[in-house]
Amino acid sequence: MCIPDKNIYKPHLATIESIVDETPDVRTLRLVFQDEAVRENFAFRAGQFAEYSAFGSGESTFCIASAPTRGGYIECCFRAVGRVTEALRRLEVGETIGVRGPYGNSFPIEAFFGKNLVFVAGGIALPPLRTLIWQCLDWRDKFGDITIIYGARTESDLVYKHELAEWQQRSDVRLVRTVDPGGNGPEWDGQVGFVPTVLEQVAPSADNTIALVCGPPIMIKFTLPVLEKLGFTDNAIYTTLENRMKCGLGKCGRCNVGNVYVCKDGPVFTAAQVKAMPQEF
Amino acid sequence: MAALGRHRACPYKGTNYMTVNNQNIDTSPLVDPACYAAATAAIRAEAARLFETGEVTAVVGYRAGRRAGTVMPEVAVTAEAAAQLIFSPGCQNNLTLFLSKAKRDALPKGKVAIVVKGCDLRALAGLIGESQLKRDEVHVIGVACPGVYGAAADHSRPLTADSAAKKCRECKVHLPEGVDLVAGTLPELKELPPLEAQELARLEAMTPQERWAFWTEQFSRCIRCLACRQVCPFCFCTQCLCDRNRPQAVDTSPRPAGNTAWHLVRAMHLAGRCSGCAECERVCPMDIPLNLLNRKMAQELYELYGFEAGTQPQEQGALTSYRDDDDESFIK
Amino acid sequence: MPKTITEQNLHHLIDALLAEGVRVIGPKRADALTIYAPLANGEELDLDQLPRRSAKEAFFPPCETILSFEKRDGKITVSDPDLNRLPETVLIGVRPCDAVAPGILDAVFSWDYDDPFYLERRKRTTIIGIACTSADDACFCTAVGCSPDARKGSDLFLVPLQGGGFVVEAMDGKGSALKARYEALLATSGSAQPLPLAVPAVDSLDLEKIRTWLAGNFEHPLWQEIASRCAGCGACAFLCPACHCFDIVDEGGEAGGCRRKHWDACGFGKFTMHASAHNPRDVQPQRYRNRIMHKFKYYADKFNQTLCTGCGRCIRWCPVGIDIKAVLDEINKK
Repeated sequence: MCIPDKNIYKPHLATIESIVDETPDVRTLRLVFQDEAVRENFAFRAGQFAEYSAFGSGESTFCIASAPTRGGYIECCFRAVGRVTEALRRLEVGETIGVRGPYGNSFPIEAFFGKNLVFVAGGIALPPLRTLIWQCLDWRDKFGDITIIYGARTESDLVYKHELAEWQQRSDVRLVRTVDPGGNGPEWDGQVGFVPTVLEQVAPSADNTIALVCGPPIMIKFTLPVLEKLGFTDNAIYTTLENRMKCGLGKCGRCNVGNVYVCKDGPVFTAAQVKAMPQEF
Repeated sequence: MAALGRHRACPYKGTNYMTVNNQNIDTSPLVDPACYAAATAAIRAEAARLFETGEVTAVVGYRAGRRAGTVMPEVAVTAEAAAQLIFSPGCQNNLTLFLSKAKRDALPKGKVAIVVKGCDLRALAGLIGESQLKRDEVHVIGVACPGVYGAAADHSRPLTADSAAKKCRECKVHLPEGVDLVAGTLPELKELPPLEAQELARLEAMTPQERWAFWTEQFSRCIRCLACRQVCPFCFCTQCLCDRNRPQAVDTSPRPAGNTAWHLVRAMHLAGRCSGCAECERVCPMDIPLNLLNRKMAQELYELYGFEAGTQPQEQGALTSYRDDDDESFIK
Repeated sequence: MPKTITEQNLHHLIDALLAEGVRVIGPKRADALTIYAPLANGEELDLDQLPRRSAKEAFFPPCETILSFEKRDGKITVSDPDLNRLPETVLIGVRPCDAVAPGILDAVFSWDYDDPFYLERRKRTTIIGIACTSADDACFCTAVGCSPDARKGSDLFLVPLQGGGFVVEAMDGKGSALKARYEALLATSGSAQPLPLAVPAVDSLDLEKIRTWLAGNFEHPLWQEIASRCAGCGACAFLCPACHCFDIVDEGGEAGGCRRKHWDACGFGKFTMHASAHNPRDVQPQRYRNRIMHKFKYYADKFNQTLCTGCGRCIRWCPVGIDIKAVLDEINKK
């Protein structure tokens, strides 16, 4: 092999250690790098993403959904909707996938020390916040109040159900779960309503508080005005953007929103930054 | 202007299969340019009338480009824009492309008028046959067309036998029929010896190995820009087979496997549908003679089933219908 | 005294390079089409026409394998192509509009992450540029800061002389080394004058003004006006010396195959489409706008360069006659 380690497109190999089916079509893979040095040295920050390969089908982009504070493995969470994600879904425990990364920027967690945090997530967009939530819970004493508002279309569409139960048990986290009207079963004990509405009812104080929002475009669109109404400034609101990516390295040219490359300048942006972009995402 | 890129004397100059015809090629102007000016005036008058009566929301026609003799399609939505429409030897595009569902969003809602040459009209018949539109949804301005440039022609010079598109040399539809208006009148036209028919005959005379070598060489240049697909009025599939990836039927990379698969899939899917406008070949930046494939398929269908695409709107093509007397001798 | 080389000796230079195992890529004619291709001998060099595709493919080929994989007994092994086996290359007969482009693309291919496939080829390639003595009405290099005798990007530069032959100028160390190595093929300059340059007859453009206009007019009827006719193919991007977007695909099967990088184009409808079918650039005018924005604003914002060298290929080969120079002229007038 020549020019070792120079091939920026070459993934590390990782073994699937465990599989969790979060919903009928959303799956979490826990991955352990096969190379010992990579296993020990792979470092990332909450918010960063990676390119995951199913060899023979291609690569797909997802955030690293596990917390940087939990070493030895990484996790990804995806919905099987395309060629690559369906191939990833066909893989079983013990099989190999490729991982390139970590790429992109991250949440400036150090800037959140001493502040209250409000996480607002919808559907399959919890994973990019879940990495940060766990990091904050692992460093619990560095933050003030932590509120998590998480909603999905139906009960079965909620991901990380066992972790939601765990957060609900904790006295140092306030978790509000909601499902869209009609998405609740007979035993549902959470809220019923769209995320922005529930956020308005919960009405977290904006004082010394950072809001972290992740969800489908329509949810973001209706959540931002609510946050504004609650007194959050655009610089106190963080979100992540996702766009179709191939290289993840700022070269292949498809993830840009205006002159912003989501893969390099993002995926984490403040609401102020998002508002300054051309509305093309 | 010196030769650069597109500007060259003959698209196949220097190739042995064309040199036999070179002695026949005439470089004097093919027709009096005044006939194009007359067609232009007639198109503008009709467009003005249509906007005045409010019969249409747009006129799809041609307008002049920045460079001398160049032309681009224009979706004129105002009388002012329609007053700029032209007809000239540069009007190569088959504008019926804009009527297929792939490009329909470029047009405003409502009835539109469209400028078509006789060859384009065949595509319109095909599109109507395939339920892409109804005849009464479109006001057809046919042009009495003496011919247009080939891909390699110098647009800044008058049309000559040398610079005319190959399809024009064998054109039987200079005067479109069944249109709402014929713009211009047809001058007397010289008989031109066919080039494409001869080239097809040359390929047919080859052994299968020679033919395979010929097409392998041609397809090796393909860069998969998909211009051939994008200008084809009949390539309106919402999900083209070559864009589908579950399974990946056609490799997307410009390599022999994917290139060959793409061009054969394309030829097969157009068999019995292609109206012979040869736009795919004209726009190919790599000079792949794609219309030879289309023409071969058309010839086969004619020989097998007596079927010809584009002569009239037909709901069922040769490959989508069955008759008891269909030739099945090819089933072995 | 300046040095010159005859056309015959230029052919000999190519033959000598080939004899030493150097790969020589230059404009080569096949049928009526001239493209950059490996030359088998000096005679094959065809300097008459601007090659149909740009010289970028010497560094950024239409398709290349970036890794291969094999699955055996449930175990996957991945191997890289051996970049050290990329041959030393001389790229000859490159007109300024093509020669200047690789230098522009260096920025994106070495931005944070170095793309070894592009950069190793750059390192191993010597560019012999040639002053341009024939232009057509699609050429507009002078309007975008290039010129028919721009030396930028060339290691060695040839200036065609009246009566034949060329002045040979070394522009940098690479060029000087090549010139010194083949000193014997050169002569001392006589009295021959250079051939007149082919200066395109075009209106000039104020690129800074265009960039400012683009910054303020993401939404503008102009995009719809121009791009309603755009057929959505990739001809403009693929022929362009500066377009560099690509796709990454796996080909082969799960048992083994290759991962390849191949040219892609922002004009394609599926270029930005998410797996969910959401598409940020859903209609053709948005895609065409991105093309112009990327070339004249985004790349300028990021790397202080323009992604256009005025070669005119996209104008000559647009199936629907879209003329980027006419578009820029219109913006320039605003």
